[in-house]
Amino acid sequence: MYRLSDFYRLSAALTGYEEVELQGTGVGSVYCQTLSKWVRQDVIEALYAQAEQIGALDNDASQARFYDQIWNSAKLGPVARNIIKMWYLSIWYQLPADWNALYGVDDFSADKQPVEDYVISSNAYIQGLVWNALGSHPMGAKQPGYGTWAFPGDTAKTHNLD
Amino acid sequence: MTHHHNDYDVVIVGAGIAGAIMAKQLGEQGKHVLVLEAGTGTDGRFFDQGKEQGYESYMERFFTAMAKIPNAPYPNNPNAPQPLVTDIQKPPLDKPVSDHGYFVQYGPDPFASTYTRSEGGTTLHWLGTCLRMLPEDFELQSRFGRGRDWPISYQELQPWYEIAEQHIGVSANADVQNYHQIDNPSVQLPFAENYNYPMEQIPQSFLDQYLAKGLQGMQVNIDDHTYPIDVVATPQGRNGMPRGDYRPVGAVGNPDLGQRCAGNSNCVPICPIQAKYSALKTLEQAKQTGNVTIETQAVAYHLAVDDNTQNISKVHYKRYHSTDSAAFEDKAVTGKIVVLAAHAVENAKLLLASNVANSSDQVGRNLMDHPTMLTWGLMPCKIGAFRGPGSTSGIPSLRGGAFRADQAAFRIEIGNWGWSWPEGAPIATVPDLIDKQGLFGPALRHKIAEEYPRMFRFGFLVEQLPDPDNRVTIDDQYRDQLGNYRPVIHYKVTDYTRAGMAQAKEVSDAIFQRLGVEPFTQYKTSDPGYVQYQGKGYVYNGAGHLVGTHLMGKDPTDSVVNRDQRSWDHPNLYLVGCGNMPTIATSNPTLTMAALTFWAADNVLNALDQY
Ligand SMILES: Cc1cc2nc3c(=O)[nH]c(=O)nc-3n(C[C@H](O)[C@H](O)[C@H](O)COP(=O)(O)OP(=O)(O)OC[C@H]3O[C@@H](n4cnc5c(N)ncnc54)[C@H](O)[C@@H]3O)c2cc1C
Ligand code: SF4
Repeated sequence: MYRLSDFYRLSAALTGYEEVELQGTGVGSVYCQTLSKWVRQDVIEALYAQAEQIGALDNDASQARFYDQIWNSAKLGPVARNIIKMWYLSIWYQLPADWNALYGVDDFSADKQPVEDYVISSNAYIQGLVWNALGSHPMGAKQPGYGTWAFPGDTAKTHNLD
Repeated sequence: MTHHHNDYDVVIVGAGIAGAIMAKQLGEQGKHVLVLEAGTGTDGRFFDQGKEQGYESYMERFFTAMAKIPNAPYPNNPNAPQPLVTDIQKPPLDKPVSDHGYFVQYGPDPFASTYTRSEGGTTLHWLGTCLRMLPEDFELQSRFGRGRDWPISYQELQPWYEIAEQHIGVSANADVQNYHQIDNPSVQLPFAENYNYPMEQIPQSFLDQYLAKGLQGMQVNIDDHTYPIDVVATPQGRNGMPRGDYRPVGAVGNPDLGQRCAGNSNCVPICPIQAKYSALKTLEQAKQTGNVTIETQAVAYHLAVDDNTQNISKVHYKRYHSTDSAAFEDKAVTGKIVVLAAHAVENAKLLLASNVANSSDQVGRNLMDHPTMLTWGLMPCKIGAFRGPGSTSGIPSLRGGAFRADQAAFRIEIGNWGWSWPEGAPIATVPDLIDKQGLFGPALRHKIAEEYPRMFRFGFLVEQLPDPDNRVTIDDQYRDQLGNYRPVIHYKVTDYTRAGMAQAKEVSDAIFQRLGVEPFTQYKTSDPGYVQYQGKGYVYNGAGHLVGTHLMGKDPTDSVVNRDQRSWDHPNLYLVGCGNMPTIATSNPTLTMAALTFWAADNVLNALDQY
């Protein structure tokens, strides 16, 4: 699907995870749908287009453009940040009220905005990137096994005890 | 087998650990027992993983809850309301009460602890720490001129501790838990010769080992006495390697390996594999005796007294049909003996509402908790935070000592889950990295990888003394939707406890300095538990250790139950639960309470022989 591949490409840049890692979570399409549910399609398209234009964030110039045109953009910044939060925390946070006033859906009806922040699904919670990023497992799932907590969490980088 | 008559040998109010132990012990001796439980039932689903409405449904609720608080997995039930940590506020100065949530609080300090009203009770989400009390904890008054003495001694309770440890399935090593390695005679615990716990000690976390090394030989000075700082493994009600042919009840996994804790790191609020003890295990055993009936959705609200005998003649309860409606049937039941096991606050409420057992005027009074102060910071290197059971070790060396004449003792809990308690990390803290620090992409990933595994916190469980003004009362103005009383609470943290908090902070500062921990502790005046002592601010949290509302004593004029845990006023009324404990000391109270409940069950059996 064209949009899903755009979504993965942008998500990789935003999260610092490789596209294959993101695909491995199995929840990318749910996030992509969640985004479409709460954000107008033209705003999403603008975000993809802008990101496409900036390209890989592998030098200072492209990073500066990213900050300027996406991160600090009143229109695109809040959406980009919400995408990161979805991936890391599996939560959809309500977009700020001033953003909503300017870029929210036209028919500003109850079902077009979530009434509160919410966890996207139980599987999304389990796949939250934050757990992997901090070198552990989601609390309540992907149990590492008896006694594993006695070992250094990250052998390569952990300070030696002796 | 169900007992069809409306009168039983024993009627028990409450299906938590206290009620479950009582029901099992009596059921095994062929007594006909009815347990009235205010909350909804679990229909055995904790033991049937495959069911549609099975255990998974609790996990699902937990995974999708925004606020992952202790009661998050368990359904909210307006017919048996329960306090929530998210309800706790500072009682306002401009209004008489804070009645946000279930508790009505008059302060001056907020009472910050909660419990669960659902079959299985509060052990559904307890942490499972199972420490014994110290011998001196039973004699605070005679040794230190503080608090009260118990009517029983450590030595008398010791065999009951053993029974409770075997039943809960505590993992620990007795030669570690006697604290003989600690150079402070006050904390050393006598264990019976050759006694050991049913399962081997749970491995200590990498963090515990790191602290143990770093703190070797450390001492602190209090009142010209030197005390050591020792890291010791904590006894826990979760499955380790079984000793001999011991087998724990009802968990997932290989029985020969003890159906061991697999490190889900979710003991509070819900262990996904039942490796942690909960009262549902004991309830299941009680049901299997064939003599115990559990009636759920049954809220006891009144005890009637026979004027001639002073016996409790009837237990009145409201049986509601669903959690969606306040419709109920008014029912009553008779037992030769009545046992209240509804938890410290609810027991007191029921006694006060019925005007029974209160000739001493002590019902509801002497409410205690462990005001729990946290300190947190970043370790100089990664210690593998956010792994394993919530806490696998502590520092018990300041649980006792001569200083108790002047200030509270405390136990230090070492937390394995980073800053999850003080800051809600990682879920509540990562948005700030993005929104406030502007991090994304590899920089965000790197920041989390480098910082979060270094997150570290202590919890200081500080002792509180029995104070008759710290109390649960009832008031006609405040009722729940079934028309039952809501608990009205008066609570304060006195200077004795505040001095303990200040001492604890000093010890923490010394440890942080020694280990090179970068401090992040912040006590905000806006925190509900903010208190001051000698010009400095501290913050306490609730521990969930509700103790003392119907305490046990030698004298009917100043206590509610005798050493048999029978009401002084009503020959057929027994009370069980942490409410019986005259002092809280520094151990999490449930093991001691379970030991007392096994004793109480024996006393009830003896009393039944006379009927
Ligand atoms: C977050 C948390 C962590 C904890 N961790 C530990 C720990 O590590 N170690 C430790 O020792 N302790 C711990 N505790 C405390 C421990 O959970 C309690 O001491 C223990 O569960 C109390 O058992 P109980 O049977 O007296 O009461 P409960 O377990 O609360 O059971 C009481 C039962 O009575 C029912 N009931 C209430 N009112 C009525 C009524 N009117 N009619 C009928 N039924 C009624 C309730 O629904 C409930 O099922 C913790 C508590 C909390 C909140
Ligand atoms: S660490 Fe996990 S498996 Fe072990 S008791 Fe806690 S929740 Fe259960």
